[in-house]
Amino acid sequence: MEKKSVSVTLEHVTKRFKNVKGKADVIAVNDSDFVIEPGELVTLLGPSGCGKTTTLRMIAGFELPTEGRILIGDQDVTMLPPNKRDTATMFQSYGLFPHMTVFDNVAYGLKLRKVPKEEIKTRVEEMLELLGLKDMGDRAPSKLSGGQQQRVALARSLIVAPSVLLLDEPLSNLDALLREQMRVEIKKVQRALGITAVYVTHDRTEAMSLSDRVVVMKDGVIRQIGSPSEIYEAPESRFVAGFVGKAAFFNTEVKGHDGIHYQCALGNKMVDVTHAAKDVTTGEAVIMARPESLRILGKGEGKIDGRVKLNVYLGASIESFVDTPFGEVLVEIDDPYAKKIYKEGEEVSIDFAPDRVRLLPKDEY
Amino acid sequence: MFTKKRIIQFAVIAILFSLAVFWIYNQLVTSFTEYVDERNFSEIELFARTAPEDLDEDSANRWLSSVSEMIPGARSAYLTYDEELWDFAPMAGSEALLSLYESNKDTDAFRKAMDSCYYLEPMLMQQLYPIDFSAEPDDVVSGVSDSQLYFIPVADESGAFVIGTIIIAVPEAAVTGFENLLRVLLLGFALIFLIISAILLFTRDPMTGFLVLALFVIVGLFVAFPIFEAIRLSFIQEGRFSFATWKRCLSPTYLQALWGSLKLGVLTATCSTIVGFLFAFLIERTAFKQKKLMTTLATMPVISPPFSLSLSIILLFGNNGLISKQLLHLDASIYGLGGLVLVETIGMFPIAFMTLSGVLKQIDSTVEDAALDLSATRWQTFRTVTFPLAIPGVLSAWLLVFTNSLADFANPLLLAGDYRVLSTEAYMLVTGRNDLGAGSALSFLLLLPTLTAFLAQRFWVSRKSYVTVTGKPSTTLTDLTNKPVRITLSAIAWAIMAFILMLYLTIIAGCFVRNWGIDYSFTLDNWGEALSRGWTSIRDTVTLAAIATPIAGLLAMVAAMLIVRKKFPGKRLLEVLIMTPYAIPGTLIGISYILAFNKPPILLVGTGAIIVINYVIRELPVGVENGIAALHQIDPSIEEAASDLGADVNTVFRTIVLPLVRPAFISSMSYTFVRSMTAVSAIIFLISARWNHLTVLIFNFSENLRFGLASVLSTVLIVIVLAVFFLMNAIVRDDKLTEKTISSR
Repeated sequence: MEKKSVSVTLEHVTKRFKNVKGKADVIAVNDSDFVIEPGELVTLLGPSGCGKTTTLRMIAGFELPTEGRILIGDQDVTMLPPNKRDTATMFQSYGLFPHMTVFDNVAYGLKLRKVPKEEIKTRVEEMLELLGLKDMGDRAPSKLSGGQQQRVALARSLIVAPSVLLLDEPLSNLDALLREQMRVEIKKVQRALGITAVYVTHDRTEAMSLSDRVVVMKDGVIRQIGSPSEIYEAPESRFVAGFVGKAAFFNTEVKGHDGIHYQCALGNKMVDVTHAAKDVTTGEAVIMARPESLRILGKGEGKIDGRVKLNVYLGASIESFVDTPFGEVLVEIDDPYAKKIYKEGEEVSIDFAPDRVRLLPKDEY
Repeated sequence: MFTKKRIIQFAVIAILFSLAVFWIYNQLVTSFTEYVDERNFSEIELFARTAPEDLDEDSANRWLSSVSEMIPGARSAYLTYDEELWDFAPMAGSEALLSLYESNKDTDAFRKAMDSCYYLEPMLMQQLYPIDFSAEPDDVVSGVSDSQLYFIPVADESGAFVIGTIIIAVPEAAVTGFENLLRVLLLGFALIFLIISAILLFTRDPMTGFLVLALFVIVGLFVAFPIFEAIRLSFIQEGRFSFATWKRCLSPTYLQALWGSLKLGVLTATCSTIVGFLFAFLIERTAFKQKKLMTTLATMPVISPPFSLSLSIILLFGNNGLISKQLLHLDASIYGLGGLVLVETIGMFPIAFMTLSGVLKQIDSTVEDAALDLSATRWQTFRTVTFPLAIPGVLSAWLLVFTNSLADFANPLLLAGDYRVLSTEAYMLVTGRNDLGAGSALSFLLLLPTLTAFLAQRFWVSRKSYVTVTGKPSTTLTDLTNKPVRITLSAIAWAIMAFILMLYLTIIAGCFVRNWGIDYSFTLDNWGEALSRGWTSIRDTVTLAAIATPIAGLLAMVAAMLIVRKKFPGKRLLEVLIMTPYAIPGTLIGISYILAFNKPPILLVGTGAIIVINYVIRELPVGVENGIAALHQIDPSIEEAASDLGADVNTVFRTIVLPLVRPAFISSMSYTFVRSMTAVSAIIFLISARWNHLTVLIFNFSENLRFGLASVLSTVLIVIVLAVFFLMNAIVRDDKLTEKTISSR
């Protein structure tokens, strides 16, 4: 099973779908250009219709790029059909063969590779055991639970020792608890085998917890590529900031930069902000703040005045919704036992440290 | 896909290949010319030795006429040797050749040739001579053509002295005939090679490319080409383009037959729809008992051979019928429109029944309950809710039966009497007068209403369905509470069922009666005679149907997979071509097959292959539709998973698609088998002395009033068909794995 990890390279890949009846073509993926390093797990994250699944299907070979090249390792696979590529895909609906037993499902890829019967038997059994499917070899897939079907699909993909593992929202059909378990399992197996993996999801928690790097997409365009902490803490746009986590946005005007801080007009006050996205210059911009970066102080003590509208008690924290001139702002209060909690209806003020918020370009996305 | 590298590769291959083909062509032509010269020489020399004694002009002419049989297109002349003048003088043969001799005899070449003949040495002219053949044309040449001249001496009995010379001219055209053939063959070969290499180079998935190509070749050759030929030949009269055939077909006689077909179609469709609706309503919407018996009896006419109902109607109500003559002593004749409508209604109401029960089953009974709840009466509910919801189904059923009735051929052939319909008129023209062009023109006349009805059903009515609006229908069966209504409806249903049952029992009775209508004594003789005379037909029919069945089934599934799952140019066209045979009457298919395949390059008439091909092509549409419906139920990611794991198209089809669509596969095979066994309309044109068809034999026996034999063979056919039908059904039902939820969505 030992195999050298390989990289996956997308070079200016564009996919246009021809639209029938004279409508304009749909651009599913627009000039995607990035490299997935050997052994890395990269997540394609975005709302539905953003082109993430199309990207995955192009890597697998089910779709053909309209323009650009795809390389696995050093090999140009752009024109290769799926059966000639060293990739294995786990489908959202699993795609288990309903007319075969679990054993035959897992053995399918080995049979095609003309592996001797004896070896198939031992390898399939090993794999089933690894994924906790021991003694289920002779069942029909329809007799298994969702999580078990899921693991059969994973076993079937892994047994052929692919260079690249492609996962298309594999957990979306599972319930919340099982999803968490499988997430860990997938990550463990991927690490253990050192397989390069591409994971498609619209669930930001899944993306954060699994990936080495996340590719955030929207409308076929890659908006940002970075480690989970980078895209959460240092988003480059309002869309990314909002899609990967909860955030409040305050319209502001950047007046200048003194080498350390940006001076921003917030309402009738001036505030300092340390970090800013690349595209930010003087003029209109927004300040992005995560709920956990904000504090609630007494009236007049902070930077933005407001009134507490609703407190939601969560045990480890309290989520406080505050009405402000900038709209409703969510503040997360950690360790509420140790802090003063303002009651609903009370006049308060919201405060933040200059280095805990981020300046983003003004435009909506 | 079209990268520069590949285009260059392709161009290089194309150039190299063209050069190779050109070289081969040159080689072949040269060596062939040499071969022809040699062969002609030796044959002519042999011929020269067969010269009759005492040659005069008449006997020489008769003798020379056989030259053109030996070498097609050749002309010959005989010169006799005049010992007084020491020279040759023209005596007999082709005028054109003799005049050439007269004008050239003083040239050196001719002198030399004549000298050579004097010394009994045959000679071939080095150069070609243009000869004007326009005065004496034949199949090969009719104008001026460069010809080779052979001079062959004829010796006297001793063999030592010359008595004359034959000159034979072989026109170039006779030689180029072969060259043309060679050219066509090589061009075809080159074209195929280039298409294949283009597929290999320019497609990502050559296997799919080849499968698509193969399907296109099949439907092109066996659907598009015959129809094209039929259209073309209906415009050709005595070798020229003309409207004569069509003018004749649009004459009052045939328009009357068209009118006859339409009248029959409308009446049959209306009666069948009413009966079909009654059956479907009783089964799907009421708590009527005996549903199983009802369904079975309504399926029987679909799978029994087309003649059997006509046959038993004749036995019961014919001129010497049991009921009409023996019991009631009537003089009314069953032959004609009335009898036809009766038989076709019984034979075709199952089509309406199946369509309508599909529709009625889908109507949510809560809709009816809602109407009843709003205090509508049962009748008001039916009139304002149930029936309006079923109207698209009713229209659809009517059009389907109408199409079928227009295309029906078997029943009118036996029962029409003086009543004229187009399908049998076309048959008479083809078999009686051997006028294929007119036959195909008449069938096209029939195609017009058939196609209109078919397209209307397909694209207009079937889209006007209200049924899918309500989601999952829940059906609770209600009792018909109104007693008179219930009794009337059941009485009608029972009467129809009894009638159908009686028809089938009559056929069985017919097997054991010595001479129906005259001598009703019990006998088993019919069995012996029928089986001994029909044995080869039974064997042929079963063999041919058994060959066609798996081919049609596999082809249908492959086509369905390509249509549902693959993208390729010309997909719509392929679909249309595959579906075409479903919409056109069998008569037209039969006639167009004779027209297209009774001559080279594809000479198939008289073989078993043409019958098998016809079965496959005609039943393919239903199989493909079944396959498409089955594939739509299957999650595409199942196939993608297989291909992702390394399976090529071939393997995906064999290990995934085929097992998953197995029910559709088997049911379309059983459908193909049943339909092939009971086919008449197209097959009757395609049978030959070697390959007979059981249904045609039954028809022949019925026509010759050998009803006992016809009954026996009908029974045998029904038994075979039923056996296969139930066997196939059992296989599908036993298939536990495929019954499972195929889609995991």
